[in-house]
Amino acid sequence: MAIYSFWIFDRHCNCIFDREWTLKAKQSSGVVNSKQNEDTAKLLFGMIFSLKSICRKLGNEDVSNEIRTIATGKYRVHVLTTASGLWLVLLTDVQQKNVSEVLHHLYGEIYVPSVAENWLSPIDFAEKEEEKMGQGFRKIQNRYFLRAVEQYLSPMVSR
Amino acid sequence: MAIQTILVINKSGGLVYKKEFLNGGHRLTSNEYLVLAGTLQGVIAIAGQLTPKALQITKNSGIKDVTDQETLVAYAGPLGILESQDMGSFMLPDYFTESFKSWNTSGLKHITTDQLSLFVFQSLTGVKLVAISTQNSISNVAVSIAENLLRKVYCLYADYVMKNPFHEAEMPIKCTLFDKKVAEMVSRL
Repeated sequence: MAIYSFWIFDRHCNCIFDREWTLKAKQSSGVVNSKQNEDTAKLLFGMIFSLKSICRKLGNEDVSNEIRTIATGKYRVHVLTTASGLWLVLLTDVQQKNVSEVLHHLYGEIYVPSVAENWLSPIDFAEKEEEKMGQGFRKIQNRYFLRAVEQYLSPMVSR
Repeated sequence: MAIQTILVINKSGGLVYKKEFLNGGHRLTSNEYLVLAGTLQGVIAIAGQLTPKALQITKNSGIKDVTDQETLVAYAGPLGILESQDMGSFMLPDYFTESFKSWNTSGLKHITTDQLSLFVFQSLTGVKLVAISTQNSISNVAVSIAENLLRKVYCLYADYVMKNPFHEAEMPIKCTLFDKKVAEMVSRL
């Protein structure tokens, strides 16, 4: 199992967190909340968004038909969508089958306590009206959150 | 694995063939299928661009990655083929009996949702075959079975569409024989 990157998108189509590991051998390698990843984040968001709208049409309309994974020849994208419009996206290698528990842990045990229940952290990362149309730049900078994500995901990077 | 729909998308992203196999259930209009084909074409292009940096680095440094060997698709047995069956210009017992190389190395291959999974087979000439199945399994076995099935559909395409003098390249496929053969194969799954 290898994890390549982890992304969070909010309901305003903004990427509010990204972490990319670049070297499998070194768990601390890579970038956090990087400006260079802005374009990649937009592409990733667009890919998931368009596939989501396809899948919504394809399935039975009575039951929800949310997208779970997208696999390519080289990597696999796992998506967890919450009702509040938050997307947690994890890129892993193709061998990796089910990481929905990992995503649920990241949301329930890390994001909710350190960001949603933190009075000092903004709940909505778009402060102005013009940041709500996918133009936002604010990221999760919360130290506790960053450390918890690192502690939880790093052991899986090269496993 | 119940196949719900099979689609053929040409190299410019247009839908040239669609066939639904399951009765009842939710139906898409032909227009929605056209949109679906166009979107898939776009996503296939984007998915290649999104290759993680970690993979790009191992590729540049010349280290053989595990994923390089994974492009070989195992032969999954005589799926949807009967003995003593008319195989067109192919010889019995099957269209192919060995594992084959997947041409789709970095593009989109497999999507799973809560209810369905969608498989994409790409040929070297840019034709994309899409199968939508009602099983949402994530396993790599399902992917290789689907790729086997789609390669067989591609063999039918080579036989009954490309050898049809009335078929125009890149235009919608209207070949009754192709239609019949695909339906036969899927019904035997």
